[in-house]
Amino acid sequence: MPAPPPDARSLTAEVVSVEPCGEDGVVLTVRPEVELPTVRASRFFMLRRTDRLSPLIPRPFSLYRQRGAELEFLLKVMGRGTRALAESRPGDELRLIGPLGNGWPALEGGGAPWVMLGGGVGSAPFYLGIQQALAGMDGKRPARREELAYLYGAARRGLLYDLERFRALGVPVHTATDDGSEGFKGNVLGLLETLWSANKLPREVRLLACGPHPMLVAVERLARAKKLECWLSLETLMGCGVGICNGCPVATRPEGPMGAWPNAKCCVEGPVFAVGAVTLEQPGEQHGSPRHAPAACVPEAPHEPERGRAGN
Amino acid sequence: MASCDLSLRIGPLELRNPLLSASGTYGHGLEMEFFTAPTELGGWVSKTVTLRPRGGNASPRICETEAGLLNSIGLENRGLEHYLAHTLPVMARADTVVVTNIGGESVEDFVEMARRLDGESATDAFEVNLSCPNVQGGKLPFATSPALAAEVIRAVRAVTHKPLFAKLSPNTAQLGEIARAVEGAGADAITAVNTLLGLALDWRTRRPGLATVQGGYSGPGIKPVALRCAWECARSVAIPVIGCGGIQSASDALEYLVAGCAAVQIGTASFSDPAVPGRIAREMGALLSAAGIARVGDIVGTLHDGRETLQGARSR
Repeated sequence: MPAPPPDARSLTAEVVSVEPCGEDGVVLTVRPEVELPTVRASRFFMLRRTDRLSPLIPRPFSLYRQRGAELEFLLKVMGRGTRALAESRPGDELRLIGPLGNGWPALEGGGAPWVMLGGGVGSAPFYLGIQQALAGMDGKRPARREELAYLYGAARRGLLYDLERFRALGVPVHTATDDGSEGFKGNVLGLLETLWSANKLPREVRLLACGPHPMLVAVERLARAKKLECWLSLETLMGCGVGICNGCPVATRPEGPMGAWPNAKCCVEGPVFAVGAVTLEQPGEQHGSPRHAPAACVPEAPHEPERGRAGN
Repeated sequence: MASCDLSLRIGPLELRNPLLSASGTYGHGLEMEFFTAPTELGGWVSKTVTLRPRGGNASPRICETEAGLLNSIGLENRGLEHYLAHTLPVMARADTVVVTNIGGESVEDFVEMARRLDGESATDAFEVNLSCPNVQGGKLPFATSPALAAEVIRAVRAVTHKPLFAKLSPNTAQLGEIARAVEGAGADAITAVNTLLGLALDWRTRRPGLATVQGGYSGPGIKPVALRCAWECARSVAIPVIGCGGIQSASDALEYLVAGCAAVQIGTASFSDPAVPGRIAREMGALLSAAGIARVGDIVGTLHDGRETLQGARSR
């Protein structure tokens, strides 16, 4: 059975700082009890406070940045779990399980450009992704700056978290907002189409996406229609993050490489999946209707998903 | 200060300590060994295995509530053949007591599974899941009827010599009677209890937290209920009772022992932190040693509840 990665550990971590970010986010910086080797972009950690019974279940967060012994997480405050973490004070102790999951594939240079599509707080796994692509991953050829593009969308400007920090990475950054308050008026897929139309991107690109469910459904559909290589970093409810609760199923495509079983475990077989291995759409699903977003899990509801839910 | 001897026996089984993983909360095999090694536990209980593969229920399958977790996984598992071919060979190298939890929709399912697994030396015992709340499609679990529960245990008993744990449900008013019924049918131990039926919803959207609407409630919120259930079982039968429900700490585990349980299982706490079972094992030893207790069995069934002895405690 799929197992948690061998480098995952249960660690205590001390809160270093909690800095506001955007309209409703924070950057939570923690120092684990041991310094971790470089963590691959789009892997994640389960985080929870240890000083109270509730929330009982830790929440999954992509690693946002790693600086020496410190780990940074980008959180959108949505419900009990994120609020409890955002209210942490420097010196507080957290429980940290990780690093978990697989992370992005090797983003090597020399092929079609990597186009990264981020929606709202789904931006989190792209900062390290860009850094690591530029540095070279798995001993492969580093990507050049012009071989990367970051397309970042959200409902409005205040929900484009840490935009300047992304711009400082030196790769092309294009923005989209539903209300036009920053960049292209529309969503990241509309933005992608305009960049294609203006010949600012070649037709042959490799896509990476992380964001709200309707966005990922649309990205999956686009990638299949245009036969583009595409990797989705998914979010589901997770009860444990280590493959034991069976609470985070993602439907596999029967003809795909994981199709021998109807469900993949998002936590230990993902969170990054190739389009073709899984599908976010169910037969007969209405366009844009969330499948994994549980009905009761709106903000203020008991157990809400908390990574990549913001934005368009 | 002498360290407390944590070892115990359940029927013919020798456990190094009274802590087992609860079914469905510690993986299908040795996935968790980096968090809590099998050698730190008295026993490992498999996720429920069914005769045929089960894809499980629709999402959402989990929903956190205040101080607990609702689940409706639906016994997702790859079936008996996969368990025999892939899981048991891995568990054969685990230095702990291996308990295979078996589930079924009919008496025949249970019998077939026990018969097939009886010759497998890698499994030391069976836990018979009479009580999953999420799979009957509206039917009541076997563990809500003394006659049905006894029928399953009697039928399984007839095809295996391995020790049988009967896993019971708290969702009944006849728990003591059911405990006596499975004891009479040949169970070697009782696991008390499975999850409580529960429900969460959002009044704004009018939608439930679980796709199946209701599910099984677990976690610290159920501890007083589960502890009472375990106590009722322990006072009703002479066979050992394995307590289960809401254990977060070594103190919680020791409460179950005082209530009459020979051992306990750790479930939802492993979701909060998969290193918890090992930590509880270490802390239990430290607490008992500090209290000057020489053998863990010395505190079993020592609740001052107005009765001289508990049958479940006396049997060891």
